[in-house]
Amino acid sequence: MRSIDIHAHLTPQCFIRATQAGQEWHGIRPGSVRIAPRAVWTPEQRIADMNSLGVDVQVVSTGAGFYYYDRDARTVAAMHRDCNDEVHQMTMDHPERFKGFAQIPMQDVPTAIAELDRAVNKLGLVGAMIDDKVNGRTYDDPVFMPLWKAAEQMGALMFIHQGGATVVRERSNRYHLPNTIGNLADRAVTFAAFVFGGVMDACPNLNICLAHGGGYTCFGIGRMDRGWQVRSEARVHIPRPPSAYLSKFYYDCLTHSEAALRMVIDTVGIDRVIFGTDWPADMAIDWPVSWILSLESLTQEEKEAILYKNLEKLLGI
Amino acid sequence: MRAIDLHAHLTPQCFQREVLAGKMWHGMTSAEGELFNPRNAWTPEQRLADMNSLGVDIQVVSTNVAFYKYDQDVAITTAIAQACNNEVHQMTVDYPDRFAGLATLPMQDIKAAITELERAVVQLGLKGAMINDQINGRTFDEPEFLPFWKAAEQMGALLLIHQARPTLVTQRTTRYHLPNTIGNLVDRAVTFASFVFGGVMDACPALRICLAHGGGYTCFGIGRMDRGWQMRSEARGNITKPPSAYLRRFYYDCLTHSEAALRLIIDTVGADRVVLGTDWPADMRIDWPVSWVLGLQSLTQEEKELILWKNLERLLGL
Repeated sequence: MRSIDIHAHLTPQCFIRATQAGQEWHGIRPGSVRIAPRAVWTPEQRIADMNSLGVDVQVVSTGAGFYYYDRDARTVAAMHRDCNDEVHQMTMDHPERFKGFAQIPMQDVPTAIAELDRAVNKLGLVGAMIDDKVNGRTYDDPVFMPLWKAAEQMGALMFIHQGGATVVRERSNRYHLPNTIGNLADRAVTFAAFVFGGVMDACPNLNICLAHGGGYTCFGIGRMDRGWQVRSEARVHIPRPPSAYLSKFYYDCLTHSEAALRMVIDTVGIDRVIFGTDWPADMAIDWPVSWILSLESLTQEEKEAILYKNLEKLLGI
Repeated sequence: MRAIDLHAHLTPQCFQREVLAGKMWHGMTSAEGELFNPRNAWTPEQRLADMNSLGVDIQVVSTNVAFYKYDQDVAITTAIAQACNNEVHQMTVDYPDRFAGLATLPMQDIKAAITELERAVVQLGLKGAMINDQINGRTFDEPEFLPFWKAAEQMGALLLIHQARPTLVTQRTTRYHLPNTIGNLVDRAVTFASFVFGGVMDACPALRICLAHGGGYTCFGIGRMDRGWQMRSEARGNITKPPSAYLRRFYYDCLTHSEAALRLIIDTVGADRVVLGTDWPADMRIDWPVSWVLGLQSLTQEEKELILWKNLERLLGL
């Protein structure tokens, strides 16, 4: 049984080397970024852990800590090129074990498109990981439309993953709630921004994966539909209720709940759910392949679709 | 078959008489109280006619969230609350078989809130109170609220948790009605977490809380809260069990607008913890709530009866 992990992060070695040498790296001062123990691992150490976990391929994404959308676009573009070159090198050194996502400087859409183009068409990366918002703007903002069009044309997969403060942070910073509730709330708002904003109609072939199982999207879709029915402002851009768009997205399996994963599958269809572990975060699924294989409410066919078949087809690997 | 609705709002007639005559009512005007919704102007008798049409036997009436007024001077808010609670009380006196009531309280002053809750429950016979998800930005794990939870527990009062704008989504977007359709459900999950991770449910083992809107995203998202509790010491500061162990300490209304979501709630917390709540007369209500529950193919007849009336009959002594 193969397994392909769409949700696995990287702290670039080029960044680690620079900061360990006491050097500033694209404006990041040494010691200003917390580095998790496994994040410093070399690609070879990473592969050893993947072997232990039974993960054949990681689609590697540079961590959300490297978005830096609030900084100078030119500086961040250079940083992202370094990140993307390193991910590219991993895919060259270990083509059977690594695929990659790009970082792109979303604060400047033309530059983001240029780097996505370089990453996908020159480096062979599969798409990009981006935040739920860019300096407070959600993805229904028309400023982003050229990026969605470009990504659609390139066949790039956009992987949505929060960074920085989630919406929960404003109310409570306790008990890890900005992560454990906030990540999932942010993702539902992003689903809604894409759908209610008309992006999915404008870009019918745009491939988007909503990390963390799409957050609260699937559970909360009934109330979004009701809002669409009774409020004219919710119908401005779309002629169908938001639930009609659920199967336009991909969702990873990172729910930490069999009941929640079952509901995601039943809501969006098994061909839209893919394997994602959040390696090497503390909020990762500890033994993700074993976990999927052990779920009693999933059929063998569903487990295979999640673990590798859907991503084989989507990414051509 | 009975039906008892825990989630049904009121814009008080005492407020409407004044503001529709062009006067102020405790500083409030006709711009408040959702008067754009014609049903909010209905008298108790018109309300009863609609309940008859819907098949709802009893509404547990709560004054609209516009009357929370936690950011006002406590004397003003207390006067508002007393007037609202008196009107709800009168409805329950005039139609004891059709209306029960929840109080509104000046939560910005805990002593005043306890005093009014006691008056409402002990003197007026109301069943508890409806309160917001936060009080001027403070969540319910703040120690200042603990005397209130203790008092509510001792009175046997039921607390219905119900947001008022802005919700946590508002800061990111105000479009497409998302502050309501996503925000209400985010706020409720944070409130569940504040009660649980904050240790309130351990400190008050008999406290009765109903989380409106099906508890928001609580039941679907509990796995990630458990993982956070396992991995992060700051999540274990006040509780020795994972948050999922507290799910059954709460009640949840059925206001999900989704059979699959309601089924997940029942499977997560048990059918004995799920109650009928319709959000009458808001536009986001369930249109024909009794018919909707009765029509759900994934629920057993026993589950439907528990939700429609048996759980609330027992909980509220109705």
